[in-house]
Amino acid sequence: MSSTAAPPRAGVAKARRRDARIGYAFLSPWLIGFFFLTAGPMVASLVLSFTDYNIFRAPKFIGIDNFTALFSDPRFFQAWRVTLMYVVIAAPLKLFAALLVAQLLALPYKGQGVFRSVFYAPSLIAASVSIALVWRAMFVDDGIVSRVSGLLGLPTEGWVGNPDMTMPMFVLLAIWAFGGPMVIFLAGIKQIPQELYEAADVDGASGFSKWWNITLPMLSPTIFFNSLLEIIHSFMVFGSAFIISNGTGGPAGSTLFYTLYLYQRAFTDLKMGYASAMAWVFFVVIGVLTVIYFRASKAWVFYGDQK
Amino acid sequence: MLTRRTLLLSAGSAALLAPLAACGGSAAPQAPATALPTDATATITMTWWGNDDRANKYKEAIAAFNKKYPKISVQAQFQPFADYWTARNTEAAGGALPDVMQMDISYLRQFANNGQLLDLNSQAGTNLDVTGLDAAILGSGKLEDKLYGVATSTNTLAMFYHPGILDKLGASAPKDGYTWDDYKKSVIDASAAGAKFDPKLYYGGNPGGVLWFFIQWLLQKGVTPFKDDNTLGFGKDEVREWLTMWEPLNATDVKFPSARTEQLKPKGGFTANEVALEASWDNFLSGYVKDSGDDAIKMMPIPSGADGKTHMFYKPSMLLSAGANTKNPDAAAALISFMINDPEVGKIFGTSKGVPATKAQRDAMDIAPGSVDQRVVAYEESVASQVTEASPVPVEGFGAIEAAWLRLAGDYGYDKLTVDQWIDQWFQSVDENVKPA
Repeated sequence: MSSTAAPPRAGVAKARRRDARIGYAFLSPWLIGFFFLTAGPMVASLVLSFTDYNIFRAPKFIGIDNFTALFSDPRFFQAWRVTLMYVVIAAPLKLFAALLVAQLLALPYKGQGVFRSVFYAPSLIAASVSIALVWRAMFVDDGIVSRVSGLLGLPTEGWVGNPDMTMPMFVLLAIWAFGGPMVIFLAGIKQIPQELYEAADVDGASGFSKWWNITLPMLSPTIFFNSLLEIIHSFMVFGSAFIISNGTGGPAGSTLFYTLYLYQRAFTDLKMGYASAMAWVFFVVIGVLTVIYFRASKAWVFYGDQK
Repeated sequence: MLTRRTLLLSAGSAALLAPLAACGGSAAPQAPATALPTDATATITMTWWGNDDRANKYKEAIAAFNKKYPKISVQAQFQPFADYWTARNTEAAGGALPDVMQMDISYLRQFANNGQLLDLNSQAGTNLDVTGLDAAILGSGKLEDKLYGVATSTNTLAMFYHPGILDKLGASAPKDGYTWDDYKKSVIDASAAGAKFDPKLYYGGNPGGVLWFFIQWLLQKGVTPFKDDNTLGFGKDEVREWLTMWEPLNATDVKFPSARTEQLKPKGGFTANEVALEASWDNFLSGYVKDSGDDAIKMMPIPSGADGKTHMFYKPSMLLSAGANTKNPDAAAALISFMINDPEVGKIFGTSKGVPATKAQRDAMDIAPGSVDQRVVAYEESVASQVTEASPVPVEGFGAIEAAWLRLAGDYGYDKLTVDQWIDQWFQSVDENVKPA
């Protein structure tokens, strides 16, 4: 037996090696992309963050000057204020809207497929240039929003030029694009075993009690996943801010998102070293927040295989 | 008028020609130019800043160019002034500047010293004809004898006004010899009369936020704004005096609302016919008339300094440069040459970029009485005796500090900033961007 068993084992090992090679071959487009387009530039930006570099002339090493300069830069703090406010307001509201609509779309009504597509559609185009332009047009003086609010007897001034109203405008744009997390919520809701609800019905549980005690805990991994994704996405908002403010971060710095300010420092002011330092501060802060969020999630996320 | 203009410009370009410190760019060795046959085939890119009006004019001018060179395809694009430089910086970083681009005197040093622009001397005499330009105007595009840009025109500051809006406000145009203070007083006095209109009308805006007005004001005080060693000739005290002078115009009931400014973009209060007066470069008349639809707009000199004189200057403007990376230097030079010399192009642009730099184009303009071009030329003739200063040559990095000034002015208009913060933050930007040679 043993003499006949050895060759097949060697064959298996050989086959495994071949499989691994084929596997890496299939992975290679991603690996090349990762090393050349992500890891390489990241290392470069780390090096540049310790230099004074304007693209044209050779980088000059200046130690941690870029990092210390951040702390005397009022626009750096303004950028954090704007970005954090957006993350704290937009991400939860968008998730709430996504969950609410997913819950409604999970109900067994005819034509739900159509509704699912309709509600998902905005998220496909919300990040586009054209929508940012439309959004701006909707909120100017005499735009559709000011006309409607005029009919309702509310103030009719446009939101675009008002630094206090630009943030709500961005938050609304974010909420409107709830389709992405909605689809994931919908899938999560569909996976909850029906027998849990049947058992609860037998016990005479109310609708809200079922939602609170069954849906929410069973959905908690999905909520965690969605919220993590949304938080990181919210930190990275750029396109709409760039277009709505014409790249200025105005009015009065009210749309100066961190990424936009980073872009300005890099490509308007040509302070590549400074911008690289900003990028690394951003990376570290988001990284730390993600780790904290992961740790904290253990307290409230319920995975099906846990007892 | 032209001899005077030449004299004043040459004084300015003398400063420009002053040797710069060892920061010259590493220009690649250039192939000798060969005369471009009119049936040459090439595709070149071109870009400029401006509004739709200018875009249409460039389109016409390119069409005229294609009559002479039918097989050269010119791919054009344009942006507003502020976005323009971000886009060019990004392209420069990738070594992909357009073959031909509009260049401003504020940015010429930055791009040239970084080796981004083609030395057009290699093309002069073959594909680029610069013989129609005065030496002084030609000199404004030179650094250390290398020709990095060709000025297509010159312009000077003017005060524009809508007579119709002044009538509505029950106000009148400023009197000759008026001062900055007189202007300020008129804005405040007219605010009550303007409040009863919907939208509200205003006599004028706050000129404090335009860096070139500050520079003009410095010249009136006898201060030389830029020094040869790439430093500023003024400090915080002068800036404070200037900004403090305009503080009364930032009061809510007299200032044109910042929110309205934001909403009206790309128009401004003046072209939306809500503000009666606006100071700007005299070539703006064409765009102002198109954007506002008010053909009655008039021009007069800017406010005077303490000695009762305006101390105006001619600024070489709308230079055309070629990217150092161009694959078609011959075609690029031919296009630049056509743009500065061709009479038809002169007729198309008229004074919309300033008074043309070559006589051939000046003579081709539409100077029918009452036309925009005639009014700009008449204005320049009427103020010729007031143009007494040499053209200030901006320091390297001026574009960046000009943009910072504009941004701070915006924040100030929204009351997010005090004058002191404005000064501190602006000089921070100066330290960062204007490096002494």
